[in-house]
Amino acid sequence: MATTAPPAESTTVWTKEDAKASRKANNKLHRREHAWAAAFMAPPVIGWIAFLLFPLGFSVYASLTNWNGIGNMTFIGLDNYTRLLQDQYFWRALWNTVFYMIGIPIGLALSLALALALSRKIRGRTFFRTVYYIPVISSLAAVAILWQWAYNGDFGLVNQALGLIGIEGPNWLMDPTWSKPALIIMAVWKGLGYSTLLYLAAVQAVPRSLYEAAALDGASSWKRFTKITWPMVQPVTFFLVVTNIIAGSMIFTEINIMTPTGGPSWSTASLVWYVWNQAFRNLQMGYATAMALVLGILVLIVTVIQFRINRANDFSID
Amino acid sequence: MRKFRTAAITATMVGALTLAACSGGTGGDTSGSPEPDTAGGDAPNELTFMFRGGEYDKIAYEAAIDKFEQETGASVTMIITDADQYATKLQAAIAGNKVPDVFYIEPGKMMGYVYADVLADLTEYVPQETIDNIWSFGTDAYRFNTETGARGDSADPLYGLPKDVGPFGFGYNTVLFEKLGLEAPSADEPMTFDEFVALCKELTQSDKLDYETWGTGLNVVWNSQAFIWGAGADWISEDQKTVTVDDPAFADALQWFADLGLVEGVTPSAEQAQTLDTYQRWMAGEIGFFPVAPWDIATYNSVAEENPDTFGYDVIPYPVANEGDDWSTWLGSLGIAVSENSKNKELAAQLATYLSTDLDAQKILAENKVQIPNLIDYATGEWIETDAPAAGWPANTKAFLEIAESKGKPLPGVWTYTPEWYDNFWIGIENVVDNGSQTAADFLAAKQPEMQQLLDQSWISADQAKAQG
Repeated sequence: MATTAPPAESTTVWTKEDAKASRKANNKLHRREHAWAAAFMAPPVIGWIAFLLFPLGFSVYASLTNWNGIGNMTFIGLDNYTRLLQDQYFWRALWNTVFYMIGIPIGLALSLALALALSRKIRGRTFFRTVYYIPVISSLAAVAILWQWAYNGDFGLVNQALGLIGIEGPNWLMDPTWSKPALIIMAVWKGLGYSTLLYLAAVQAVPRSLYEAAALDGASSWKRFTKITWPMVQPVTFFLVVTNIIAGSMIFTEINIMTPTGGPSWSTASLVWYVWNQAFRNLQMGYATAMALVLGILVLIVTVIQFRINRANDFSID
Repeated sequence: MRKFRTAAITATMVGALTLAACSGGTGGDTSGSPEPDTAGGDAPNELTFMFRGGEYDKIAYEAAIDKFEQETGASVTMIITDADQYATKLQAAIAGNKVPDVFYIEPGKMMGYVYADVLADLTEYVPQETIDNIWSFGTDAYRFNTETGARGDSADPLYGLPKDVGPFGFGYNTVLFEKLGLEAPSADEPMTFDEFVALCKELTQSDKLDYETWGTGLNVVWNSQAFIWGAGADWISEDQKTVTVDDPAFADALQWFADLGLVEGVTPSAEQAQTLDTYQRWMAGEIGFFPVAPWDIATYNSVAEENPDTFGYDVIPYPVANEGDDWSTWLGSLGIAVSENSKNKELAAQLATYLSTDLDAQKILAENKVQIPNLIDYATGEWIETDAPAAGWPANTKAFLEIAESKGKPLPGVWTYTPEWYDNFWIGIENVVDNGSQTAADFLAAKQPEMQQLLDQSWISADQAKAQG
């Protein structure tokens, strides 16, 4: 059997030149890949710079100026911030805004309860899910007008319903004591469907095996809720708390529609409502921007604290 | 995981800050429709006109613009926006250096725009005979002395022409008066406060008709001005530098106004007014006296046509404190201004003049009860004699013309750089007029220093705006 020598090209001998050529080819390939990667990344980066970073930087600068929003800016250092500290209406608006946050835990508790109820096999489950979600997709302006009527002191739906159980309801939107709770109730109602939907998905994702094991160990319903359901839906709770605080700090439309002058004794004026009035009605754009930035920083601080608390409570199932 | 958290914090931070910083926009456009280009025309004879308004404004201006285009060879692009978005869109257009050639301007914001060199001085472009034929309030509202900060002097430069003047008149329900056998108030002479209260008591009935009625139902924010002025008091001194609400005459007038509901019981209660507001009750025939303005006429006419057994109306002077006192009320206006940076300033001023004074456009607007005519010769001649009655304006429409001519004043706050001092007046007013937990005198004594501080701040801001340009 004749044998033949292997072809010369099959014995790979790497010379310096070969390595250089290969590196060159690789570099060329990498460069091309890098160029493509940069091209794909450029639009969002440019968008981020143009629509986030630049406006943010501009806002910071504007907050250090005396600017009416139409003319030239004059740099005044921290004057807007010192003015803000002495402005009683800023603090009142901030307090009102913080007060509105009471609605967040109430809304979350109700949403979780509803999600737990809707996760069971009850009749009309789909119908109820739809009903609770309708306010979420309804126009906020239309909802605000409807609630304005519902809160009517004499013949509003809310007081009529309270009257059925013997309670004489207050004149909700005209009473400084009740105007903020009135807005909170409306906000909770409006946001209930969205939170419920997220909780529902989280509740349904909890492994059944955990409940079965707990049941075998004799855990009560309450124990199963506190030790399994609640920790397992914690990421959703965390997400909802963060997003609700951000959204709650920006409450504006319902206030502007339901109490356009800031409510009785200015009891409903939120910070964003005050910012808007200062910027567009009173031509104090620089001052309004300073207030907006302070609000943003406060939201950031609260959010960072939340992230830290969440990290401390973090757990995983091995 | 840590990286993810860092990224999440960063994203949240940027999002929160940006959302907060840009929150002014939350009151703006939510329609998602593409923004029209508001920039002024580039080519010679090319103009843009940005305004807000209803269907009849558009029809009237199309007629005026057609004529303008034919006569001048110009090409005009109309940009119409929703009323509640106009102010923010104009401000955005100015900030973006895309100011239309011609646009609506609120007299209250004029000072800031003039200091920022946004508005062109129209004095040399508008003929004197044209100005002489417009209600003086209509032009004086757009005059401004940049040196002194004074408003309303007919010797000062003109920065706009009126789109309209809006007299905030007073009216009564003719049908209710007839039903209750009451003599109609004079069309020419104002009632005194005492006479007004006496009539209101007669009109406040719960058993004479098959529905409850009240003398009046006036919203303090919009309706108290005429009564305060009718008592010889005012919110601000003539030089616009001192808040004068601590004047005892002001306290007496405000207390009298509050007592209409609290003591005399001639208005629906705050709760009743909230159930069905007094505007609706007025149109339902339940209220004797109520404000009547040109923009209400079309609605009131259709209500009167549909419910002739309960509703009919006419215009009368506002009551005054004492016999022989002069009556007055507030007169609003919206202006038409020209951009200082317009490439065709003279042509733009000509267009503004057409829009403000074109006879055909004025006829369309008056016929459709959008406004009273701006032109004095037409308003006091053909219109009041034949056109207004034919179009269904109320019998005593001349009261509107009287307001436009001499009885009208700007709302307090309109002629100062910012209205914050005046807005502040209404914070807590419900304690005086709705629940009576505070007397007018106590309320005003506490208010005056706060309002004065804000007025002083307004003047400081005006000076700063002037210095900045």
